[in-house]
Amino acid sequence: MKDTTIEIRWHGRGGQGAVTSAELIAMAAIAEGEYAQAFPSFGPERRGAPVLAFNRIDNANPIRARSSVINPDIVAVLDPGLLYITDVVSGLKQNGTLIVNSPKSLVDIKSEFGGPWKLAVVNATAIARELLGVNIVNTTMLGAVVKATGIIKMESLVEPIEERFGARAKRNIDACAKAYKEAEIAEPVAVRARQKREFQVEKWPAWQELLPGCVVIEAGSASQYRTGDWKSQHPESDYSKCIKCGLCYIYCPEGCIVPKLGEEGFFEADMYYCKGCGICAQECPKDVITMVEES
Amino acid sequence: MVKNRVSMEGSLAVAEAAKLARTDVVAAYPITPQTHIVERLAQLVADGELDANYIPVESEHSAMSACLGSSAVGARTFTATAGQGLELMHEVLFVASSSRLPIVMVVANRALSGPLSVWGDHSDVMAARDCGWIQIFAENVQQAFDLVICAFRIGEDPTVLFPVMVNIDGFHLSHVIEPLYLLCQEEVDKFLPPYKYPYALNPDKPVSIGAFGMPNIYTEAKKSQDMALRASKNVILKTWQEFGKLSGRNYLPVETYKVEDAEVLLLTMGSFSETAMIAIDALRERGEKVGLIRLRLWRPFPLEEFQKAVAKAKLIIVLDRALSFGRPTGPVCSEVQAALYPLKTKPEIVSFVGGLGGRDISAATFENIIRNGMEKAKSGRFDELEMIEVRQ
Ligand code: SF4
Ligand code: SF4
Repeated sequence: MKDTTIEIRWHGRGGQGAVTSAELIAMAAIAEGEYAQAFPSFGPERRGAPVLAFNRIDNANPIRARSSVINPDIVAVLDPGLLYITDVVSGLKQNGTLIVNSPKSLVDIKSEFGGPWKLAVVNATAIARELLGVNIVNTTMLGAVVKATGIIKMESLVEPIEERFGARAKRNIDACAKAYKEAEIAEPVAVRARQKREFQVEKWPAWQELLPGCVVIEAGSASQYRTGDWKSQHPESDYSKCIKCGLCYIYCPEGCIVPKLGEEGFFEADMYYCKGCGICAQECPKDVITMVEES
Repeated sequence: MVKNRVSMEGSLAVAEAAKLARTDVVAAYPITPQTHIVERLAQLVADGELDANYIPVESEHSAMSACLGSSAVGARTFTATAGQGLELMHEVLFVASSSRLPIVMVVANRALSGPLSVWGDHSDVMAARDCGWIQIFAENVQQAFDLVICAFRIGEDPTVLFPVMVNIDGFHLSHVIEPLYLLCQEEVDKFLPPYKYPYALNPDKPVSIGAFGMPNIYTEAKKSQDMALRASKNVILKTWQEFGKLSGRNYLPVETYKVEDAEVLLLTMGSFSETAMIAIDALRERGEKVGLIRLRLWRPFPLEEFQKAVAKAKLIIVLDRALSFGRPTGPVCSEVQAALYPLKTKPEIVSFVGGLGGRDISAATFENIIRNGMEKAKSGRFDELEMIEVRQ
C-alpha cells in the first residue's frame, strides 16, 4: 500500500498551545473529508517546558499509527528559543517543510537552519501580541503552516477555531490570516547538507545501572535541572531605580533571584533557572525589571 | 520434655517469630482470621515484652502505607492481613516492592467477597500474585514460625531488598494449636543480624525514594526490579540452608513427597498439603505410583526446580484453592501449564478447584481427586477444570 500519510511535528512550550494547533489542523482536515489525527506527547504539564504535538493526515486511508512522529513531512516551531535547544529538524524528510516563528528575517534563519527542506518564517509572536494581546501563537502559526504546505484550506479552519474560541474566535482568525499573508517562504536548498549543531543529549541509564527502587542518593540533584530552558522571555533590570527592597527575591517562584552579596547588593536572577514567568517584573514597586523576548 | 517444645496457636507462633526477630514497627488493621496475630503483637508491645512501635491504623491501605515509611527509615517492619484487607492494600503492595522495602507480612489466607466469607482459600494471594513481593507458603504452625524468621533475613539481604509475604491458611493454620519448637532469642539474633537499609531516609544523608518515572526510564526500572526478584531465589535457597543448619528443619522452593518413581503427581499449596500426604500414603499402599509436590515458593516462581521435580511424571493433578473467573483452569494450574509448555516431553495436566471459602478437603476427598484425575487423563479430558464436591 502506498504511504499516503502526511506527518506533522509541532515544537512548542507548555502553555503556548502546540496541542491546540495540532487539534485544529486535524479538525479542519476531518471536516474536509480526510483521515486525520492529533495527539500530544503525553507528559507532565509544565508551563514553558518544551513539548511536542503531532498530526497525521491522509486523504486515502484510515490512520493506524499511534506512535510519535519521528520522520515528519512538516515541522512547525512555535517558539524561536527552541531552535537552539532542540534538534527541531531531526528526521525531517527531504523536501519536507520547516515553519518557524521568529522575529529574524528569512535570510537569517535560512543561513542558520536552511537545508533540503522548504523553509517558512513568520513573526507569529509579534502578530499574536498585536491582535490577541498575548504570546500564544497556536492559531497564528496555523496561517503560516497552511501557506507553506497547503495541507488544508484556510476556510476549513474557521469553524474549528470558532468552536474552540467562541467570542475570541474572530481575533484568532485574524491573526491566522495575518500570518498567512506575512509568512515568507524559501524553497529547499537541495545541495546543502544539514548543519551540524550540538544539542544537549539526554542520557538515560541502562537497567543494570539503576539502584534498587530507583532511589536517588544524590541530594539536591534537582539543581542540575536547567529550567532556564523553559523561558520565552527573560527579566532585565535597570538597577539605577532599584531600592533593594527584595520583593522580587521573595516573589520569584523559582527562588532564583539572589542578592549579589559583596558587590552592590542588587538582586539578580540566575538565568540557568529563571523560567521567565514575569512575576518579578510584576511585583517590583519601582519598575526596575522589564521582561524581554528571548531571541 | 524436649527443650523449647511448646504448644501454640498458629497466630501466636507468628507473633512470637516477629517478636524474636526484634521487629521495630508493627502497623496493622485487624481482620479475621488475622486478628490474633496483631492482637498478640499489640499485647507484647503494651506489656513491654517487645520494644516496638505499634501503629493502629484506620485501614489496611494505611497499614501498608505506614509500613512503607517505617521500612524506609530503616525500621524492621511487620504487618499481617487477610482477604479483603490484602486487596485494600493492593496499590500500596506495588509501591513496597518497587521501592524495594523489605517489609514482612503474614497473610492469613481468606476468601474474597461475595458472598462475604471470613473463611480460608487462596483467592486473596492469587489476586495479589503479580505485586512483586516474594511469596512463600507455610503448611503447618512450625513452618509459619520458621518462615517468618527467614522472611526477614531474605528480604533484608542487601542484594535482595524485597518485601516478603508469608501465607498461612486462614483458620486452618491461624487458629490451630500444634506443637512447636521455638528458637531462643540468642539463636535468632545470630541468624538475623540487625536491619540495615542501605538507602534509609536520614536527614543527615538525604535520599529520594519513590521518584516518578518518565517513559524513557520506566521500562528499565521494571526490568531491574524483575531481574532482582528472580535473583532473590539464590538468597532464599541459601537462607533456608543456613536455617536448616540452625534448626534441623529444611525448606525448599519446591517440596516433594514420595515422588521417586511417581507417575502421577498431585500439586497443592499451603496447609492442605499435609492432608494430601495421607491420601498419597493410602494410594501407595495399594501400589499406585503417586506422589505429592508443593510449591513453597510462589514468587519468584522456581521454574528450574519445578521443571526438574516433575520431569519424570506422566500426569500432574493440580488443586487450586482459587478461581480465575472465565479461565479454563485455576491460577496455579495455568502457571504450571506455562512452566511446562517449553519442555519437549512433559506430563499431562488436569485442573481441579476446591477448598473454597473454608470448605474442607479430607484425605478421602484427595484420594478421589487423584483417582478422578487419572480417569480424566485416561479418557483425554484435559479441557476444563473440575470443581470438586460441588452440589448439582
Ligand atoms: S521571571 Fe523573575 S520571577 Fe520569574 S523565574 Fe525569572 S527571575 Fe523568577
Ligand atoms: S523588587 Fe525591584 S526594587 Fe525591589 S529589590 Fe527587586 S528589583 Fe529592586
